[in-house]
Amino acid sequence: MSEAILRPDEFRPDEFRPGDIRPDDLVTTRRWTPSAWHLVLIPLAVVMLFPFFWLVVTSLQTLAQSRTFGLHFALQFHNYIDAWTQAPFGRWLLNTTIVSVTVVISNLVFCSLAGYALARIRFFGSGALFLVILATLMVPFQVVMVPTLLIVRGLGLVDSLPALMAPNLVTPFGVFLLRQFFKTMPVEIEEAARIDGAGRLGTLVKVVLPSMRAPLATVGIMTLLWTWNDFLWPLIAIQSEKHFTLQLGLMTFQGAHSINWPLIMAGTVTTQIPMLVIFIFAQRWFVQSLATQGLKG
Amino acid sequence: MTTGRASLRDRLFASDHVAGWLFVSPAVLLIGLFGVAPIIWALIISFQNNSLITSGTWVGLANYRHLLHDPMFAASVRRTIVYTVLFVPITLFGALAVAVALNRRLRGMRFYRTAVFAPVVTSTVATAIMFSWLLDPYFGIVNIILNKLGFASQGFFQNPSQALYCIVIVTVWGWLGFAVVIYMAALQGIPSELLEAAEIDGATRWRAFWRVQFPLLGPTTLFLVVWLSINALQLFDEIYVITRGGPLASTTVVVYYLFQQAFAFFQAGYATAIAYVVFLAILLLTVVQLLIGRRLVHYRS
Amino acid sequence: MTRSRIVCGATLAVVAVALLAVALVAAGCGGGSPSSSSSSPGTTGSGTVTFWHGYTDVERAAIDRTGAEYNATKPAWKVSVVFAGNNDYALTKLQTALAAGKAPDIAYQYGSSMALLAKLPQVVDLTSRVNDPAFGWNDFFPAVRLAATVNGKVLGVPALVDNLALVYNKTLFDQAGVPYPTAQWTWDDFRAAAKRLTNPSTKQFGWAYVNDASEDTVWRYVALLWQAGGDMLTPDNSKAAFNSAAGLKAMTLLYDMANQDHSIYLDSGNDNYLNLFNAGKIAMLYTGPWDISSINKGVRFGVQILPGDVSHATIAGPDNYVVLNNGADRVNGAWQFIKWFTAPQQHLQFAIATGDLPLSSAETKLPGYQTYLKKYPAEALFVANLGNVTKARPNIPTYPQVSQALGQAIQAVLLGKMTPQQALSSAEQQVNSILASGQ
Repeated sequence: MSEAILRPDEFRPDEFRPGDIRPDDLVTTRRWTPSAWHLVLIPLAVVMLFPFFWLVVTSLQTLAQSRTFGLHFALQFHNYIDAWTQAPFGRWLLNTTIVSVTVVISNLVFCSLAGYALARIRFFGSGALFLVILATLMVPFQVVMVPTLLIVRGLGLVDSLPALMAPNLVTPFGVFLLRQFFKTMPVEIEEAARIDGAGRLGTLVKVVLPSMRAPLATVGIMTLLWTWNDFLWPLIAIQSEKHFTLQLGLMTFQGAHSINWPLIMAGTVTTQIPMLVIFIFAQRWFVQSLATQGLKG
Repeated sequence: MTTGRASLRDRLFASDHVAGWLFVSPAVLLIGLFGVAPIIWALIISFQNNSLITSGTWVGLANYRHLLHDPMFAASVRRTIVYTVLFVPITLFGALAVAVALNRRLRGMRFYRTAVFAPVVTSTVATAIMFSWLLDPYFGIVNIILNKLGFASQGFFQNPSQALYCIVIVTVWGWLGFAVVIYMAALQGIPSELLEAAEIDGATRWRAFWRVQFPLLGPTTLFLVVWLSINALQLFDEIYVITRGGPLASTTVVVYYLFQQAFAFFQAGYATAIAYVVFLAILLLTVVQLLIGRRLVHYRS
Repeated sequence: MTRSRIVCGATLAVVAVALLAVALVAAGCGGGSPSSSSSSPGTTGSGTVTFWHGYTDVERAAIDRTGAEYNATKPAWKVSVVFAGNNDYALTKLQTALAAGKAPDIAYQYGSSMALLAKLPQVVDLTSRVNDPAFGWNDFFPAVRLAATVNGKVLGVPALVDNLALVYNKTLFDQAGVPYPTAQWTWDDFRAAAKRLTNPSTKQFGWAYVNDASEDTVWRYVALLWQAGGDMLTPDNSKAAFNSAAGLKAMTLLYDMANQDHSIYLDSGNDNYLNLFNAGKIAMLYTGPWDISSINKGVRFGVQILPGDVSHATIAGPDNYVVLNNGADRVNGAWQFIKWFTAPQQHLQFAIATGDLPLSSAETKLPGYQTYLKKYPAEALFVANLGNVTKARPNIPTYPQVSQALGQAIQAVLLGKMTPQQALSSAEQQVNSILASGQ
């Protein structure tokens, strides 16, 4: 493997970097760009994608094919249409989108605030508070779901979309992750901004957050994913079908003893494709490098 | 910005305590209401003989005493620890390796990254079905391959001695992408000047990585160790859809055991007592991890 | 802006504390549903009762139609038919709904949940209502009546009944030259046939057994136990009775077929056995009407009663509608709907639409029953087989734990980890201690 670890903006194929030794050096040819990394990455990709591939294959099968053994290929695209028409898929999609978008935005805002404070501001009780926030992750949801339901009922929210949003508006995951990333920020930049007269909030919004695209994207994506795929909480918090989320709705195709796999898989693929698409686009936040931030001095 | 208002604002914001609490107040409110309050409520239940619906009778520490003498509980704890000790390091180092591999400019990188993330997006049910088929003792592809290579068919999920390890594989597969994404985000934050400096000094790439990049990934690694441990100790979903605690209870981990108690046997009081013991154990472990982290992890300042 | 931030912060804090207090108070008072039994008996009021079910597909369309038909008769209490999610979650959903104080009036529940539901004060005791001669309780098959009764109280009305029979692949039988199963088959006939229908080189199995140690594993064994003349528990439900000669005979059959003949495909609980049956890899199944609709068209199959030992006893898995007490008026309203729906003529319509088995012998005497048989020829045997259901599983609150102990014993035997006697003794010990400490 004849590559150095490069920042993407520093990829200069023809330039030698000090210390590089490439087997091709002995043979005076150009660098061999099809890297040996592919030999590792391709099998990895296959392993990772195989179940998703099977999901798609099943979603295109006929019902009879799905009820037998072995891999059968078919192109029953009507399964996708059926999944949409046999059930109020559009409604569920709308519900899930509203809930997920609200939760993501609220998390990005509130977790940033809290994570920044826990990372950078020395205030009374911050250590204990951080631990308490973490502690809420340590009790299995199955145990607290009934009391949570009672609280939601006390707020008059049962069987409504706010019931799905409320418990998730701030997640300890977001607070914890962002706190860790905030701690990796060089303090000099913030101090420079404070000296220039910006308040703490201004510093956070104008100086620190723009450099945190990747962790913010991570919090956004994971929160989106978890809210999108959440099943147990919606199951007990929602009673009317018009408030179902996508995951709840998929149960419609799942009888006690007979499961309509092609329809469920078509529905599942439909619900997962947006996640993958968002991830594909969000990758640029993981790939763009940090602008150098005046580390000198 | 008149001088009067500026000084008031400065005075207030000069007070770190006020500023700090203002910043965290939304989080405190929401997590307090939906995170802390239910936990306290559940704690009260653990001192009762409760079936979740009918209000229970107070039994004090009886549930906790029963815990200490329950061999099934002890066995579930053992299995959970075995699982965690395998799952966390494998996922962590596997993800680190993959993130480093993906952090380059090769053709098809976007595809590889999406592929690695795909398992995180795949639903647990679909994953369960897939792996059940792949590892079927008679018809699974893995066994067919093993047979062709001359090995005997394995029971996998049907073999009490293998089932838990198969669950490790399934969950590592499912969680790797998540950890990779986090590491990728962290790798973005490492300025290249530091690497250059090391390489100019003559370090090989391998050593440059361990000496420069890995320490800078400290906060992220700490996060992942804590996060993965917390989740591993609370393993449930995969057990519920794949093995249902079997075969012969070999995959009955702690949270699955308490779920059975609460929802299959209607022993909610006992279940919450178990949950509290689990909670205290996780809390202790996390505190230890954070303390070690404080000593070992280098935060740039 | 600064001042408003302080005010904001302070208000937030106050609101937070207030909400927490409200939450804790609400949680502390949480529990029973608002049962306003203030109306005097005899008044009926009017409104809508909610009916939670988990039917999907064809059955769901049928139940929706049923609800609409009922509402068209302009009853005092209309019914709102609500899909509450997969029946696997029905118990959890009902539990949590009761805890949150927003329970339905009627709920579809698995029969296995009856003993647990009996613990809930909100579940209505229907004994006096079903004993009204107009209701025709005694026309319902004995199996379903037993399954709805806990400690002498009738707590549910039958919603669904089924039973286990032998479903076999005719093509595989023809290929192996084995004569089709008859109503006189014994365990020996069955074992011999399974052996001849097993072919390791083509990975074909004579029989499939669900081996996930759940009730699915247990109830098939219980059928064998009853066929050998045995019982699960003593009549007063105080001790295990399955560690007997009959129990041993049944367990030994499983052990030998799994570990000596290797004629059993052990299903891990994901219903792979059905896919394999469709693919022609499994010759015989012990299963019920619910799987019939999933058999692919190209598969030639037959249905027969289970092979017998002392008898050809089989086991039923009935589900019930339970009524929740949200006030006397609503209970009356709910009961009107149930009476209407489970009347033989009405339920027969539902059965014809869905393929569900009739619930009472009265239904089989109606002229419409011939329509049913013509539409679902395979069901005829299941209906006749209901006569072989003479016992029911014990309806005790600790049944889930008993089931788990027995399930793991059966699993150990099938995997060859324990001998039949070891497994039975170990399960007996566990079950006895469960029953002793039981509620």
